[in-house]
Amino acid sequence: MALTQALTIGIDIGGTKVAAGVVDPEGNILDRLRRDTPTKDPKETEDAIAEIVRDLESRHDVIAVGIGAAGFVDGTRSSVLFAPHLAWRHEPLRDAVERRLGLPVVVENDANAAAWSEWRFGGGQGESHLVCVTLGTGIGGAILNDGSLQRGKFGIAGEFGHMQVVPGGHRCECGNRGCWEQYASGNALTREARELALSGSPVAHNLLRAAEGDPRQINGPMVTELAKDGDPVAVELLEDVGRWLGIGLANLAAALDPGTFVIGGGVSDAGELLLAPAREAFKRTLTGRGFRPEARIVRAVLGPEAGMVGAADLAREEATWLRRVRVKTTAVTAKTAAARNRTTRLERAARKSAGRRTGMRAATPEADLHHADLNGEPEA
Amino acid sequence: MGLTIGIDVGGTKIAAGLVGPDGTIGARTHRDTPANSVDETAAAICDAAAELIAGHEVQAVGIGAAGFVSADRSTVLFAPNLAWRDEPLGARVAETLKIPVVVENDANAAAWGEFAFGAAKDVEHMVCITVGTGIGGGVVIDGELLRGEHGVGAELGHMRVVPGGHRCGCGARGCWEQYASGRALVREGRAQAESGSLAAAQMLSVCGITDPAELTGPMITEAAAAGDPCAVELLDDLGRWLGEGLASIVTLFDPSVVVIGGGVSAAKELLLKSAQVAFERNLPAKANRPHPSFGLAELGNDAGLIGAADLARRPVTAARA
Ligand SMILES: [Zn+2]
Ligand SMILES: [Zn+2]
Repeated sequence: MALTQALTIGIDIGGTKVAAGVVDPEGNILDRLRRDTPTKDPKETEDAIAEIVRDLESRHDVIAVGIGAAGFVDGTRSSVLFAPHLAWRHEPLRDAVERRLGLPVVVENDANAAAWSEWRFGGGQGESHLVCVTLGTGIGGAILNDGSLQRGKFGIAGEFGHMQVVPGGHRCECGNRGCWEQYASGNALTREARELALSGSPVAHNLLRAAEGDPRQINGPMVTELAKDGDPVAVELLEDVGRWLGIGLANLAAALDPGTFVIGGGVSDAGELLLAPAREAFKRTLTGRGFRPEARIVRAVLGPEAGMVGAADLAREEATWLRRVRVKTTAVTAKTAAARNRTTRLERAARKSAGRRTGMRAATPEADLHHADLNGEPEA
Repeated sequence: MGLTIGIDVGGTKIAAGLVGPDGTIGARTHRDTPANSVDETAAAICDAAAELIAGHEVQAVGIGAAGFVSADRSTVLFAPNLAWRDEPLGARVAETLKIPVVVENDANAAAWGEFAFGAAKDVEHMVCITVGTGIGGGVVIDGELLRGEHGVGAELGHMRVVPGGHRCGCGARGCWEQYASGRALVREGRAQAESGSLAAAQMLSVCGITDPAELTGPMITEAAAAGDPCAVELLDDLGRWLGEGLASIVTLFDPSVVVIGGGVSAAKELLLKSAQVAFERNLPAKANRPHPSFGLAELGNDAGLIGAADLARRPVTAARA
């Protein structure tokens, strides 16, 4: 089969559910599977992944597997350093799963995977400087420059949710206070709505009714639905979250200056109820406003399966790239080795950036070594 | 061979130098900055460059200036201290000197200097802040200077750290540079002195002044170095703001190293210690992630000049006007 038509599997490992799909090169999902997430033991998660892949493989010819997971994924995209909702601590997930499956495996941060698919198939196509923000229970983030995911030195760049926006603010599970995700995420929306209902304020009447009188039953989708029906308090709650979203985006614009922000994740289902106040707050707080070009703020288009599709597509890129590199290995090794000795660090960096298009390039020196075995850098 | 000229356009002084490919400065010169006239500023820049070009084979000129510089590295969109508004500075200077010219934000240029030849010369991912009267930022990702879509990225000093906080010249409130810059240091020092605090009165006498309005940043640093408790506290507070802000910034870029430069960094350990403590304390999920190293810039006042000169040697990438 030609690689350009090859299928890959994308697996999105969430806190409660593992969602998997067979994805074609255009980002279409041809087959789907769901399982509960086994949270206690890393081995059980590997088992679940292997089982899912075998199941899907029995019906489809696949060439690689991409895994998206919440947490810190190291720069070589092989280990999960830390996952907030899972038992992984420095878990060498890629090699373990590769050994069991005999297929190339890519592990990626879930927000990075979602951003990748928005850039390839969704709301960020053609953008040279894209920042994606995924509003789920927390906030995930990703930076894509010229189609390359920016992973940073240790693979954990783009953790926007833990940028501090309120000194001494709400406590966050990362150990700090006042993180952005305590103000502009699904958790924040739920917290504010519940607090309002608990206060006994009559304005929360509809909210409470929707929750059958129990404030603890209130959740984000409930608020969004009420807001869409025109409930003024639900609209206000989304407005508040939207405003915090816009304020944080203004900070990101100061730091990153993207052309476009793509906003995804469950909370973005609120659409303009969230994004209109976000744009307003963004314009109101942006540094140097009036004297600089401003980024667009748009909604993600791929929905909750963006992460799965992105992981699958990243796996395809990796598999395709690996094969190309293997073919070239013998011919180019000596030349590359000689060239490497001649070039300075800066020239190397420049060449790397020129040759970069797929985002497959590894982020750390260790990763460079890993790829160097296969005769590393793609030709510029 | 391979000489370029680096020019650092400050609010009061234009500093120029002839720089080799290894980042060493040969000849230097300077001019006063004619702040109110766009034409005179361009003329002064050309004049300084021409003086250095005479008798040398010079490849290109790099200009670092405070403000928003367009993505094609040629036009200054806006400068806070000078009269530039959509000023085609690069084209103007290139036309006069008949030589390629690259314009870069001054903090970006300084960061590049540190990346290429200074405190970050052995890494590929760096965040550098220049703490002067304000805070300038520069970010290098994978060996490339972060410029963003429009050329105005890495304005780290204008990230909001306090909702509804101090008013900032950028039009917003609560910007980081209102809390962690030289201006913040002086504002706090003066405010304390004006409050009638005995500790502050003692600091003023160590500084040899009586009027709080005469207090400057270097005076505070000197007093702190001499052990004055009030001055030590002021720098300590500043360091804490710096460290906390850097912890947030590290979550965005995940650099190998964080570099602190600029005039205020002359306080060295007096500032760095509290900054580092606050930084380590505020890194999100600090127990579960690698920590970047943390250090002072190495090139001093020359970082911007050297960086601009080196950037002039390199082709402009991502050119989108
Ligand atoms: Zn946090
Ligand atoms: Zn500001």
